[in-house]
Amino acid sequence: MSSLEPLPISGRQPRAVRSALAVLEEVVAAGPGVTAKEISAALKLPQATTYRLLNLLVGEEYLVRLPDLRGFALGRRAARLALPVVPTPPAAARAVVEHLRGQVRWGVHLASFRTGQVTLVDPDPDHPPSDDVVLARHPHASALGMLLLADQPDWRALARDLRPLTEHTVTDPGELDARLEVVSAQRVARQCGQVRADRGCIAVPVHDPATGALVAGLALCGPAARVAEPNTELVALLHEHADRLVPLLA
Amino acid sequence: MRHGALSGLRHRSPVHGLDRRHLGPPEVLAQSVSSAAPAAAMAAAPAIAATTAGSGTIWSFVIATVVSLLIGSCIGRFTRRMAVAGSLYSLTAKGLGPAAAFTSGMALLVGYGVLVMGALVGSATYVDALLGRLGVEASGTVLVAAAIVLGALVTGGVLARVRLSARVVLAAEAVSIMLMIVVFVVLLGVTPQVPAAVTGGSGVGGIAAGVLPALSAFIGFEAATALGVEARRPFRTIPRVVQWTAGVAGVLYLFATFTQMTGFARTGLATVDEPVPALALALGQPWLALLLDLGIALSFAACALATLNALVRVVFSMARDGIAPAALGATHPRRQIPHVAIAVVVPVVVVVPVALLASGLPAAQVLADLLTLATVGYLVAYLLVCLAAPFFLRRIGELTPVPVVVTAVLVPVLLVVLVAFVVSAWGGVVPLAIGALIVVGLAWLLWLRRRRSAQLAAIGVYDETVTADVLGGHEGSPL
Repeated sequence: MSSLEPLPISGRQPRAVRSALAVLEEVVAAGPGVTAKEISAALKLPQATTYRLLNLLVGEEYLVRLPDLRGFALGRRAARLALPVVPTPPAAARAVVEHLRGQVRWGVHLASFRTGQVTLVDPDPDHPPSDDVVLARHPHASALGMLLLADQPDWRALARDLRPLTEHTVTDPGELDARLEVVSAQRVARQCGQVRADRGCIAVPVHDPATGALVAGLALCGPAARVAEPNTELVALLHEHADRLVPLLA
Repeated sequence: MRHGALSGLRHRSPVHGLDRRHLGPPEVLAQSVSSAAPAAAMAAAPAIAATTAGSGTIWSFVIATVVSLLIGSCIGRFTRRMAVAGSLYSLTAKGLGPAAAFTSGMALLVGYGVLVMGALVGSATYVDALLGRLGVEASGTVLVAAAIVLGALVTGGVLARVRLSARVVLAAEAVSIMLMIVVFVVLLGVTPQVPAAVTGGSGVGGIAAGVLPALSAFIGFEAATALGVEARRPFRTIPRVVQWTAGVAGVLYLFATFTQMTGFARTGLATVDEPVPALALALGQPWLALLLDLGIALSFAACALATLNALVRVVFSMARDGIAPAALGATHPRRQIPHVAIAVVVPVVVVVPVALLASGLPAAQVLADLLTLATVGYLVAYLLVCLAAPFFLRRIGELTPVPVVVTAVLVPVLLVVLVAFVVSAWGGVVPLAIGALIVVGLAWLLWLRRRRSAQLAAIGVYDETVTADVLGGHEGSPL
């Protein structure tokens, strides 16, 4: 029941799909609180059809009913229909990252988690990081991704496919669970050769102090063998810079 | 353009504290199917219906299935639009207002509460019978002990997190239905195929009277409605699950009726006391009777747990509405269940059946009376929710002709069934119990009118859309 049945589109279905999209557009155009009758009138759709489409869109959570049960508004899921827009970090935040780059010989990257994915917002130009798409799609492998997963009530919702990218990638859910516990407890995530066999990363989180929400992550990337060392001073340096980012990003 | 449309949004749902949006469709389906307990009803209901419907029994079940599907469609008009924990009580409030919703709430407390008691008695009876077949000497003590153990198991089940509890129910019900299908397929396979129409039919009147017991075999199919808050995609899952349960139960009952009618084609199904075990023994398959007892005992136990889950959520919703003590609306912070409501409800529904069995009353009579009383409660709640559906749709400006027609057909039918049901139980303890419950309900309602009129006027708590559900409803960050 939860999966989409692979039915061929036939008969009047194309029109139904068009109507559903028109209903979505009308809710956006009319603004929150628009009622079923108003949508039906504006689109010149039969009432029964409009009600069915609205119930369908509410069932799929693209729309929500407001507490009076008459009015509609866009649901959170509708956000998935648009490309996630990540604001460029302010100059002050980029200066903090640049300062860290001046102190270490490793790559320094800043990522945002605001879209629910890993999005690099200030990658190190001198040490190009892994591909954006790889980082976004395989959060279980990267240090920044593990920060994101460790922050979820149930990380399985975000990382469905624990695919091995290298022979070191953690693919066992139990082991990943244990690692994410450590990440939460120590406020630092570490991976050695899990995305690319010769590289590793250490990442620390930036939390919004008011809501406690995870907003960004700051990562140091270098040779896998070096990352495996304790690196106590480097981690302290990372945390120090992450703390300076808090008022600039939260 | 619509200034303030989002300003009325709350920051947290009025039914916060439950394990919101976590149950998958199979777990929700198990709740409804178990509460209807098709495995138990498959064995008993056809024979009861046959006492009046004779060879027309199958038509009684066809009609009962259609009526159940139509009731399900009325419930669906609400559950596609709102997610509730208070089952039909909270739905009725949105269509007919406080007095009708209160009546529905009372009816559900009786229906769910008494069904839990009846299911415990039923399960204990069949555990007792099972042990008897295995050579344990039958005595009242075994029966009471079985009821106490089952009561403890069900208590454990309802105290677990709802996901675990739903999975236990799912497993028990799946096993019991499989057992029943095996039993009936074997019976059908070894029975000489004689056309069933040799016994005298009882005509249209008999078939109509047979709809009563047939319909009572469906009660509980709406139980998933009480998991609206906890289902992952409530607006999609709940209406479908309720309809599927009615449909699946209907198919199982038709299959069971057909098998039993074929088996007793010569003598007539209604002449036998316990048709299925008798059939099994007559065919030289005594092991079938064992499977049957096990299947029915499991089905009743799952029914007790599933119905109890629904019952505590109705009590919880009444407390959140302010018409029951507020403490009953508390939830356990870690398990996310209404633990105070459970603590109050469970002793009642476990102690009463144990006491009834311990008092030495014949178990079969206790079971029959409890099931009759429960059915009356359910029928009142069904009647009200079907009546409420078109009013609800008109209130939110989404009324179309079909719901009006469905309600216009269903309400008289349910009214007749309800009256016939009470009349058929006349002279026993059931009408007395109904009378007493009406007095209690009226007293409660009058007290609420005087002391809690504001809360009474506003009842109908449900899982409202909150700021976090709306795109752009949250000030600040989008995550």
